[in-house]
Amino acid sequence: MIYRYAVLTRASHWLWVIAFAVLVSSGLQIFNASPNLDASDKSDPARRVLAIAAPVDGVGTTTIFGHRFVTTGWLGWTDDGMGSRGPHAFPGWITIPGYQDLAGGRRWHLFFAWAAALCWLVWLVSSAMKGNLRDMILRPSDLPKLWPMQAYYLKLRKEPPPHGTYNPLQKASYTAIGFVIAPLVVLTGLALSPGIDAIANPLTVLLGGRQFARLWHFVGMIALLGFFAIHTFQVATQGALNQMRAMITGWFRLGEHDGVGP
Amino acid sequence: MKRRIFLASSASAILTGCGPIANALNNNATVQKVLASAEGLNHALIGTRGLAREYRESDVDRNFRVNGFAPSDSRYVTLAASNFAGYRLLVDGAVDRRHAFPLGELRALPQQTQITRHDCVEGWSAIGKWSGVRLSDILDAVRPRNDARYVVFHCMDNDGMGNLYYESLDLHQARHPQALLAMRLNDAPLDAAHGAPVRLRVPTQLGYKSAKWVERIEVVGSFANIASGRGGYWEDQGYEWYAGI
Repeated sequence: MIYRYAVLTRASHWLWVIAFAVLVSSGLQIFNASPNLDASDKSDPARRVLAIAAPVDGVGTTTIFGHRFVTTGWLGWTDDGMGSRGPHAFPGWITIPGYQDLAGGRRWHLFFAWAAALCWLVWLVSSAMKGNLRDMILRPSDLPKLWPMQAYYLKLRKEPPPHGTYNPLQKASYTAIGFVIAPLVVLTGLALSPGIDAIANPLTVLLGGRQFARLWHFVGMIALLGFFAIHTFQVATQGALNQMRAMITGWFRLGEHDGVGP
Repeated sequence: MKRRIFLASSASAILTGCGPIANALNNNATVQKVLASAEGLNHALIGTRGLAREYRESDVDRNFRVNGFAPSDSRYVTLAASNFAGYRLLVDGAVDRRHAFPLGELRALPQQTQITRHDCVEGWSAIGKWSGVRLSDILDAVRPRNDARYVVFHCMDNDGMGNLYYESLDLHQARHPQALLAMRLNDAPLDAAHGAPVRLRVPTQLGYKSAKWVERIEVVGSFANIASGRGGYWEDQGYEWYAGI
């Protein structure tokens, strides 16, 4: 048994879990107020990537790159959060508040955006000061080990490559999420703000414009959801109880291959 | 296998528990107060700085999107029928020289043209070419007193339940070089749908700040006694007063 996660890391982890759930569900509430995503600066139907609509009462459609799918009940014509169905892009059971309320969704979203970002900053500074970041960040020397590690998971290899307390795939996903995707989601969200745009217009331009930033922000959410799905799958399949205990109490039982190499 | 069933059932228990918990928290006044605290942080950190990007003529939306409905009461209809000959923009309150500007007087003042993007809180945006008088020029003309802190815009439209539209800016926001009292959109006089005869343009904040159909500008020390006291029609419905994000 090793003491793997400091109390600050564990607290941050669970705060992020809550913040992430709130940010996704309030973000979908905000999306519902204008359920289109355009690859452009101003709104432009000619450059529409995603459109969720209710063309007639009782029918929901989702149009992706011009391909239209009927998604009644799931997207477009869905649960209105008040016991019946109506023209809501994402259903009420997944949004916060559960009924149509843009102002409410914005309050949840902007508060938890701050909470998650400040929590990330505190965690980053404290981990950097303690030197823990070194174990988590993917280095060039880890790159040749990525496929052997995956091959081990796929049972194509008997032994994993030698590694430290985190294996190369874990390092890759922590680095991608903590230092690439999450910061990008923050930046794409900030680029949507007319106040930030006036201060840092190159950021909005770099992202392809304001509506494009809204599209990237949505794509970033999908990337975070993808990470969340893989992460929970790995926890569930690789000693769920050991992992959960570690993230709650800090104590982790090292596997026979963990912590034996550089 | 048992462990998987345990994990799956606890996951689904968490998911089904979320809805009622979220609803209860959403309906809690203290929770709402905490959530609303982010507005102060955004206002302090982002504030009103810099200039909104100005675009080229070719970027303009010729069919600028319309939200809301023009006033339909007889007073507005009569004013519009006479090309707003009887319209006056009254500027009063905590000022030294209150004044009612007829349209001709506003048109005779130095005009600014800006091609800026309008970002609606709903998530869409559109680009228009706006011309009119700088709000700061109007403020200079009426001279706000020392106790002045906010500029309140009273509008001619109402929500059908007797609530008139209004908005407010603080003096710093009102003196922003792009804060404009627009009288023209895309080289033509404003039409009724876009806020004729005078509307506000605040390109550094979300669209609901850019009030249409403005007929009175009241300079005040506090807006606590106006309508529900939050500084604007949408603010009274729960939207943030600081709309820079």
